[in-house]
Formats: sequence, structure tokens, C-alpha cells
Amino acid sequence: MNIKETLRYLGYGRSQADEQTLHLAESCWRELEETAVKRCCFREYPLSFPGGGVADMGCFQTGSKDLLKNLKDCQAVILFAATLGVQADSLIRRYSLLRMSRAVVLQAAAAAMLEDYCDQVNEELRREYQEKGLFLRPRFSPGYGDFSLECQPALLGALEAGKRIGITLTDTLLMAPSKSVTAVIGVSLAERNCTVKGCESCGRVDCVYRRND
Amino acid sequence: MSADILKEIRRRKVFFDGGMGSLLQAKGLKAGELPETWNLLHPEIIKKIHRDYLEAGCDIVTTNTFGANRLKYPAGGAFSLEDMVKAAVANAREAVREKGRGYVALDLGPTGKLLKPLGDLDFDDACRIYREVVTAGSRAGADLVLVETMSDGYEAKAAILAAKESCSLPVFATMVFDQKGKLLTGGDVESAVALLEGLGVDALGVNCGLGPVQMKEIVKELLRYVSVPVIVNPNAGLPRSQDGRTVYDIDEEGFAAVMEEIADMGANVLGGCCGTTPDHIRRLTERCWDKEQVLPERKNRTVVSSYTHGVVIGRDPVIIGERINPTGKSRFKQALRDHNLEYILQEGVTQQDHGAHVLDVNVGLPEIDEPRMMEEVVKELQSVIDLPLQIDTSDTKAMERAMRIYNGKPLINSVNGKEESMREVFPLVKHYGGVVVALALDEGGIPETAEGRIRIARKIYATAAEYGIGKEDILIDGLCLTVSSDSRGALTTLETLRRVRDELGGKTILGVSNISFGLPQRELINSTFFTMAMADGLNAAIINPNSQVMMQSYYSFRALADLDGQCGDYIRMYGGQAGSGDPAPGQGSAKAGTDRGAGTGFGQIVPSGSRQMGLGDCICRGLKERAHETAKTLLEEREALDIINNEMIPALDYVGKEFEKGTLFLPQLLMSAEAAKAAFQVIKDQMAEKGQSREKKGIVILATVKGDIHDIGKNIVKVLLENYSYEVVDLGKDVPPEKIVKETVERKAPLVGLSALMTTTVPSMEETIVRLREYAPWVKVMVGGAVLTEKYARTIGADRYCRDAMASVNYAESVIGKKNLPQYEKGEGTA
Repeated sequence: MNIKETLRYLGYGRSQADEQTLHLAESCWRELEETAVKRCCFREYPLSFPGGGVADMGCFQTGSKDLLKNLKDCQAVILFAATLGVQADSLIRRYSLLRMSRAVVLQAAAAAMLEDYCDQVNEELRREYQEKGLFLRPRFSPGYGDFSLECQPALLGALEAGKRIGITLTDTLLMAPSKSVTAVIGVSLAERNCTVKGCESCGRVDCVYRRND
Repeated sequence: MSADILKEIRRRKVFFDGGMGSLLQAKGLKAGELPETWNLLHPEIIKKIHRDYLEAGCDIVTTNTFGANRLKYPAGGAFSLEDMVKAAVANAREAVREKGRGYVALDLGPTGKLLKPLGDLDFDDACRIYREVVTAGSRAGADLVLVETMSDGYEAKAAILAAKESCSLPVFATMVFDQKGKLLTGGDVESAVALLEGLGVDALGVNCGLGPVQMKEIVKELLRYVSVPVIVNPNAGLPRSQDGRTVYDIDEEGFAAVMEEIADMGANVLGGCCGTTPDHIRRLTERCWDKEQVLPERKNRTVVSSYTHGVVIGRDPVIIGERINPTGKSRFKQALRDHNLEYILQEGVTQQDHGAHVLDVNVGLPEIDEPRMMEEVVKELQSVIDLPLQIDTSDTKAMERAMRIYNGKPLINSVNGKEESMREVFPLVKHYGGVVVALALDEGGIPETAEGRIRIARKIYATAAEYGIGKEDILIDGLCLTVSSDSRGALTTLETLRRVRDELGGKTILGVSNISFGLPQRELINSTFFTMAMADGLNAAIINPNSQVMMQSYYSFRALADLDGQCGDYIRMYGGQAGSGDPAPGQGSAKAGTDRGAGTGFGQIVPSGSRQMGLGDCICRGLKERAHETAKTLLEEREALDIINNEMIPALDYVGKEFEKGTLFLPQLLMSAEAAKAAFQVIKDQMAEKGQSREKKGIVILATVKGDIHDIGKNIVKVLLENYSYEVVDLGKDVPPEKIVKETVERKAPLVGLSALMTTTVPSMEETIVRLREYAPWVKVMVGGAVLTEKYARTIGADRYCRDAMASVNYAESVIGKKNLPQYEKGEGTA
């Protein structure tokens, strides 16, 4: 149960939550744990830099400077997608109609739960690759920095994420179910402390939701 | 030709082909390239693959049209969808002609979109998309339609309806289950079978997602429920990535060996999906071609379903909650007129929490457009409540609209023995699927004797059979007349129940509470009659599940009738806490602690008399139940408007200010808003009794713009604005600019609030503002959403950027509120 992140998503920043909100957050986590159906899929693709500030991962190309920085010294990428399923969305929707305070806390808890789940799967991947002498960069998602959402159809298409874990796109390239994540994870022979992570790579340093560990 | 495939299946095991995608990749299909284009670009390769499968012994080749739909091939694109579908069928047809045998299945895969309300594809649009492909494919000479790889029953329904409505070919459907036997959308095997058989598919089964080993359990479960032939098309095994290639955990021979076991279990049509090749199919057909074909027997189960699960109507009585019905309920009627779906949903949730298995939905009011309202309510209910619904209406248009968009196999209330009624209702049941309540009355009225009612029941069964509807899809309503006007009424009804069960082998249903009409202490009579009816075989009861006494009858009957193993449910309900009977699982956990919460210190700011905790304090602390109670007590001694102006408004203002200062946060702001709302409700009810009403300050239109499906921010704003007495018209999410303009102009709204979450949907916000400026020049527009900033908002022409919910309240107050504030006093003056 990750109450700390849940509160961060609710905009608490460094403030303490009152007891009532803490109880609410815990109860939301419990309900979400019973309801959400976590699924993920990933596939490795070769990575090349054909020049002109472009990264080519076989199924799509991108000119995102932030992503290129993140993928420095990488030879391959793992395309990754994860979701809490339509079940999480339904639950939030239900409470949006019945009890809004619970809906916003569920929304935050779901975001935190999904991040935790991605971290957990990424950690397993990291260990698996390390045994092969390879190192993984922090995952980087479309929408972070200048990494455009335009690559979502190709990324999800390559993973067959619709068929396999049910992630679809709206005409405006939003993912449905909404509690879903896609990401690119760089694979490299070189171990490097990569600083270009998700939240921290964003230019808005005054954002109340900003991670600051 | 096409009907022959059904004959063939009755005679012997029939075989599908295997995968297409992986073979095309091997032939050079690039990542990201659309496979269906090869029907036109490389017809010889496609034909060769079909031929290879036919050579390997398969009977049915599936066209290369998995993703061929309007969404992927828009009009005016490089490829004509119609030409491509025609070419796909022609390629398969050609291979069949060369081989001299075989059938062509027009393949329909998922659209790649999630349906509304969680996604952005409308159900009717999904039907239209599939209809286009079916029309082209059937004209080009397909022998059957295969709806496959469906992980959402709702989408499968759209495809099957489209197929049935635009051609007369047999329709097969296969779904994707995970290892737990669930669809991605949460549906179980039983609900999928109920839905698909209800829609009248000719064969159904499972494909993709799993290898044959993992599918065995699913097939076993399928065979328990199914009455039509079963199709099994697994992947080549469980995949894993090896050196950038996909490999499977079993080989061709391993695949065929497990498929043989599956054939022996009773699967009727076998083939493969992802990763399978002609070699897989050859080994499969070699092992299975001469096996005896045993078709599933008719199960005659009476099942209704929601998108998640089925409810079996049998010996164990089913509770149908009757509360979603405006009859005699003025607040419900008002909620319908106001499109206040929250109120209606709350009625549904409460009944679910009290143990209802199915919810009756009746929205009939003389002055409303019933078909439209029925569709709206059913859509909303099924998106947040996972119980099957009973569509209750005498308006066949409303019935059809609801049956069409219903996500499952519904209960229908009702048909009766009149020719006209049967002629109208039975075709709908046959087309959309459903279990229908049949009232034992006809042109001659309600027979006084059980014999007369049984005669009508027989007639109903016989007529239904002419339409192809089995007895299992009919629930005979033996009708109960009020015992106060006919002392034999109850006995006649009970005799009817027994005789339907014993002589006709049918199932029964009753609206139980009619029996006590005109008598005092109605629940006494109702609950006793309910027990008697269950003892005489009643299968489903339409009752108020919120009534403790009725549910006590239900749980005790089940314990006594050996329907509740070791009295488990009975003990769970009543053990330890005698007479409580209030389970409220969903809401129970949602209740905020009654006395918890750090003090806000608010009590010191607003004196609240001698009370320990004043209403203002309850609101500040977000204590919903207590705010409700306190408001009730306060109303005994103080005027409504005094309470609003001197207790509630200052409390809301205080909470709002603290939120802006950053000492209170969103959950608390909303809990306070909900507490205030609960208090307002008490006050509103009392004012309504006195014929008064609390005047609204003005209309605010809210919408999440076209293309955006993230509406939580807009919903937060709505809750707060309502507490500040604004009449909020919530247009929902993914709302086209035209609709926003139309509502604004029609209502002469002074303020519109728009939300958009992502950069990709801000253009649609901008477009909406441009149109509002043109058609509603008076209106002020406030905007909010994650990617917006003050500057960005100005660029797109908004009047105000609202960084949070309080900011939108403040802006509304400055645009509308302040100048209309005197209405509070006015309200008092008219009191």
C-alpha cells in the first residue's frame, strides 16, 4: 500500500494528511487491490541511430531529444505496456457518480498502484538483463518531456497491446483504460546513472505533483 | 453452400485453419505494415497460405480481414476497404475452388477501440463499422462470418448483431479468456455463453490468448454451459521472446496431442490461432479427423447476464430489486425529469448492497421520452453496477432500444398471452436474446383459476416456440391479485406456481408485494406470502431488497430448503448481530468515520449554540451522516434559510479558503461538499413539503471536450458548484462543440466550464470556444485541465483559467453569483 504516493498525487506535497483522509486512502487501496486486474506486456527491439537526431526502434522512429538523452549508449529497447484494466476505470467511474471524494482518492491510489506495478516488473526485467551483463535505463513514457504521444499507435501496435492486455487508443491518442502506461526502456552494455527519468525530466519545476525524493 | 457447414459440423469434427500474421511476417510483412493490404498487393501469397491450410486438412479458411475496418482504413485512404474485403474473400474462394472443397469464413476481429463509456467508440458506431465489412464480405461470397479474438462481450455483441442484420450467413464467435477464465473486461465463461447463445450464434468458443494446455480448463467450463457446437482455436503455445523471435513452449506435435484431448473432451470445431502453421493443422487433423462428433446437449438453463457474470434462475430463488421505478415516488420522478442519474444509480447500488441479484429498471413517466430515457438509464447503470438488469416497460420501442445497447443477456418485463403482445415482444427476444417474463393473462383478462392461467402459459410457450424461443427463456408470472379483494387470490397464485413447475416444467416469477395492497402492515403479509411462494417453487421474486423482513424470509427459506450449505449465508447475515441485516459491502467501506478527523477549529469561528458539534463543524470535517442528522435537528427550531446562510455557507466558505491556502486538500474539500450536500437534501425535502424551493443562482454548463475521456476534474467542479446553488448542466465527456453551443444557446447560460486533460484535446477546446464566441457572444468561458496554464488558456481564447475547483467557484461567483445573491432573501420572502 503506497499511501505516500497517493497523497502526492492528491497534491499534499510535504503536508501531513489528516486521519480521516488517511483512512480513506487505505480503504481505497484495499478496494482497488480487490478490483484492479494488473496486466503487462513487453518486447525487445533493436535500437539504432540513423542520424539527424533520430532514434529508430524498428517499429517506429522518434526525434525526441529527451528520449535520445535517456537512450544514450543503448543498443536495444524494451517496449513496455501495463494497465490496471477496465475494472479500475469502472470503479472510479462508479464513485464519481456516488461519492466524489472517494473517486479522487481512488484515482490517485490507482495512479500510485500502477507506477508501483511498473516499478516491480521493471525491477524483474533489470535483474534478468543484468544476468546477461546488460543494463536497463529508467523507463521513459510518451508524453514525458518532448516524447510525443504520436508514437502511441506504433508502440501499442508493435506490442499487440490491444489484443493481449486490452489497451486501446482514442482518436486523440489517449489510452483506454485510462490507468495504463506505455514506456521505452533502454538496454545498454554500459552501466550508467541515468538522470533522465520521467517526472524529473519535466521543465515544470514548480509543479505541486513533482516527485522530490 | 453456407448452410452446409452447419450440416457438416453435425456429422463430423470440422477444422479451422491456423495463424496468418506470423506466416505473413515470414514472407516479409514489415512491423507496422497493415496485413490486410496484402490481399491486394500480394494476392498470390495469401492464396498460397489458404491453400496450404486446405492441403493440411482444414475445412474452413478464414479471410485475411482481421483488422479490416473503417477505423484502420478510413475513406479516402490509400486502400479502399470494400475492395480489400472483396479481394480477401476472393483469395480464399479461389483457394477453395482450386482445392475442390472447403468453406470461407469472413473474419471479423476487434475494432481496436474500447466502447463507451470507458472508451470513445459508440455501440451503434461499432455496429456500423462491422456492418460495412459484413456487407462487402457476404456479397463477395463468404460462407460464414467468424467473430473472433473478442475480449469484450459488448464489442462481440456489436459484431454479431451487425452480421445478423446484414446477411443470412451462419455466425460463429470465439472469445479470448485468460487463465482464470475471464475476458479482459472481466466477464466469465458463463456470462459469455449466455450472451452469445442469446444472440443466436451457430457455434461459439475460445481462441487466442492461451495455448491448448491452458485452454483445457476453459473448454471444460464451456462444455458445462453450452448448447451449440464448440470451437477451440488456441495459440501455438505460451510465447516467449528468444533472441528477438517469438517461440512457443510446445512444438507442433505437442500442440496436436493436446488438441486431440480437447477433441475427446467434446470440442466440435478445432483449429489454431497465433503462431500455428499448416504443420500444426496437419498433425491436428491427422489425429482427429475420424473422431466421433458428439454435439453438446441442450442445457435448458435459464440464465441472464451482466458484462461480468451470469445469474442462473433455477431452484435457488433470485431476488430482483424493484426500486428503480417512479411509481409512487415523487423524488424519483423528479430525478427522471432532471436526468439526475446519480439518484437512480444510488437506488441501484443500495439494492445491490442489500442482496439483489438483478435490478428491475422502469422509467415510465407520461411526460418523458421513454425510449430515450430507458437507453440512457440502462447505459449508465450497466457502466457502474455489475448486476444483470430487467428491462421493465410496456413501450416496445423503449424495450428494443434498451435490449440493443444492453451489455449482456437481459431479463425482459414483460410479454403476455395476448396475440399482439407476443407478436411484438418475441421477435425482439429472438433477435437480441433475453429471458422474458410472461404474464398469465390474455385478451380475456386474468383467469380466476390456476387452470386458466396454466392454459395461457401453455399458449405462450407454444407461440414462443414458433419464434424459436425455448421454454428456458420464459418466466411465467402466475400473477398475484390483492388478497383483500379476493380471499382465494394467494392460493390460486400458489397453485399456478406449483403447476408450472410440475406439469409444464417451467420457471416462475412474481411481483410479490401486490398481494398485500390495501392491508395494514403490508410487510407481514408480503414476507409470509413470499415464503409460501418459494416453498411452492417460485424461481424469481420482484421485491424490495432493502426490506429487512423480506430478506429475512429469503435467507431463512434458503437455509430451510437445503439451498444454503451449512446455513453459511444465513449465519453470515444474522450471526452475532441479531436483526441487523444491513450488509452494505460496497458502501460500508466508503463511509467516512463518523467521529474521526482532526478538528478544524471551525467551531470557534462559527458559534453553533450549545451543541457539541454544529452543522458547520460537521461540514468542515466532512461528516456526511452527521451533517444529515444535525440538519434534521436544526430544522426543528430554525428556518431553512437561516441554517443555509448562517451555518452552511460560512462553513463552505471557510473550507474553500483553507483549501486555497493549502492547509486543506482535495479529499477534504470534497468530503465537506458531500456533507453539505447531505444537509442541503434534508433542507430541500422540508422546503418541498412546504411547497418552497431553494432558488438557483444561475446555470453553469460543464463539459469535458470532444476527444477527451478524462472527466474527473469536471466532476469535482460540478460537486462544488452545486453546493453553491448553481444549476449545473453536466454534458459529460467527449462532448462535441456543437452540443455545447446548442445547450448554451438554448439555456441562455451565462457561464460554461470546459475541461481537457491532454495537449491532444486542447485544440478541441479551442474550437469549442471559437464557436461559443460566434453563437453565444454573451457567455463567459472558464477552462481547466492538467496541461493548461494561464497563458495557454488565454491563447485559446478562454475568459478564465481555473487552476483548481475552488477557482471555478470563485469565478462563477464573480460572473453570476454575486449579482444574484439577493435571491436567497427572495426565497425567504416567498416562504
